[in-house]
Amino acid sequence: METIRNYLETMFARLPITLEVQKAKNELWQMMEDKYTELIKDGKTENEAVGIVISEFGNLDELAEELGISNFVLQENQKQAGNLRYVTLAEAKEYLHDKAHTACTVALGVLLCIISCCGYLLDSSWSLRGGLYAMCFMFLSIAAAVALFMYSGFVMGKWKFLKKRGCSVDFATAEYVHNRRESFRVTHAMMITIGVILCILSVLPVVIVTSLFSGRIGMGPVLMFVLIGIGVFLFVAAGNVNAGFTTLLSLNKSDTMGGSFVPSQKQVNYKNNTVSQMMSVYWPTVTCIYLCWSFLSFDWHITWIVWVIAAVVQQLIRAVW
Amino acid sequence: MGSISSDIIRGYNDTMILYLLWEAPSYGYEISKKIKSLTDEKYVIKETTLYSAFTRLEKNGFVEAFSENAAINGKRRTYYRITEQGRQYYREKCAEWTLTKEVVEKFIKEDGGV
Repeated sequence: METIRNYLETMFARLPITLEVQKAKNELWQMMEDKYTELIKDGKTENEAVGIVISEFGNLDELAEELGISNFVLQENQKQAGNLRYVTLAEAKEYLHDKAHTACTVALGVLLCIISCCGYLLDSSWSLRGGLYAMCFMFLSIAAAVALFMYSGFVMGKWKFLKKRGCSVDFATAEYVHNRRESFRVTHAMMITIGVILCILSVLPVVIVTSLFSGRIGMGPVLMFVLIGIGVFLFVAAGNVNAGFTTLLSLNKSDTMGGSFVPSQKQVNYKNNTVSQMMSVYWPTVTCIYLCWSFLSFDWHITWIVWVIAAVVQQLIRAVW
Repeated sequence: MGSISSDIIRGYNDTMILYLLWEAPSYGYEISKKIKSLTDEKYVIKETTLYSAFTRLEKNGFVEAFSENAAINGKRRTYYRITEQGRQYYREKCAEWTLTKEVVEKFIKEDGGV
């Protein structure tokens, strides 16, 4: 009996507690209890009875639809949003597959862009021939990168509707995506960590090579760009795969029957509209400042402080507005 | 023997429920039990299907819900009673089915296409 109760509670856990939902839950519980009692009376074992009751319970989506129609608020929302596009489990799987696939191609493209200048760095002779090779390498890398970006764009093109139209996912799909994201969590953390480490270590080749071969830079900068490139590759790939999960999970708005699956605390809301608009360009601006300062002064050993200050400032702004 | 397509039978869940309520009011599990036994267990209605049918019927005024303590163990249950509108609707659905059956029958081979 406890198992059935838990099953019902789990099924209803994500639904908002409205009068209709409460009523439905009570009614379903009555029916399940009756069935269970009768099955036990007929000599079924507890396990058999639980199995039968659960297998004959049906699909909650069927019910959500029914409750959704009787739910006036939802009806109003649907009128505004037009028909909700329903994303099936198969579609969700395909989307995640495409997303993971293009995450790698996009990341590879970024990597190619970053190392495209390496030809010039390698060419220490400054000869015409050397310059020519370096230029060829740069344009070939960039061309390959653009090709990869375009390819990803085409692949992901068919999923554009996820962002444009009001879409929703059912409980099973959300549960599936949620589990996928949970199992990706460790990989994600590893990728980000390795990426950060690579970016930090990227200055080492330059430092080591210059101190060993006093003054000659040689392979140092090339290695630096390769390390940064790999680091960024990991960021982009991990971020894109994760974005796929988030996109699917945030399809349902909090007023949809199924409820939103993204914790509301994740969305930071600034009360002041101007501030919220300014904050949308906050991190790009910080990146810009960091790069400008670093490249102009070449004080790489100190410029990283920008990130620390920026993070503190952001927290302050969040606290105040 | 194949199983029943839930798409086809969905339109007639209401008819089955109204038929079973015709003589006397009843409650969820009793109705699902009767559907199972009357169809020789060929059709087992899911709880969620049954509940959504109840809410739909109630919304359209074909049945009325009321709460009553059961005769056997005194458990409080929601009972459903058919209304006059419900009886009218049932008659319409019966006529509709007769017509549907007649039409579809014309396209069903006697030997089942073997």
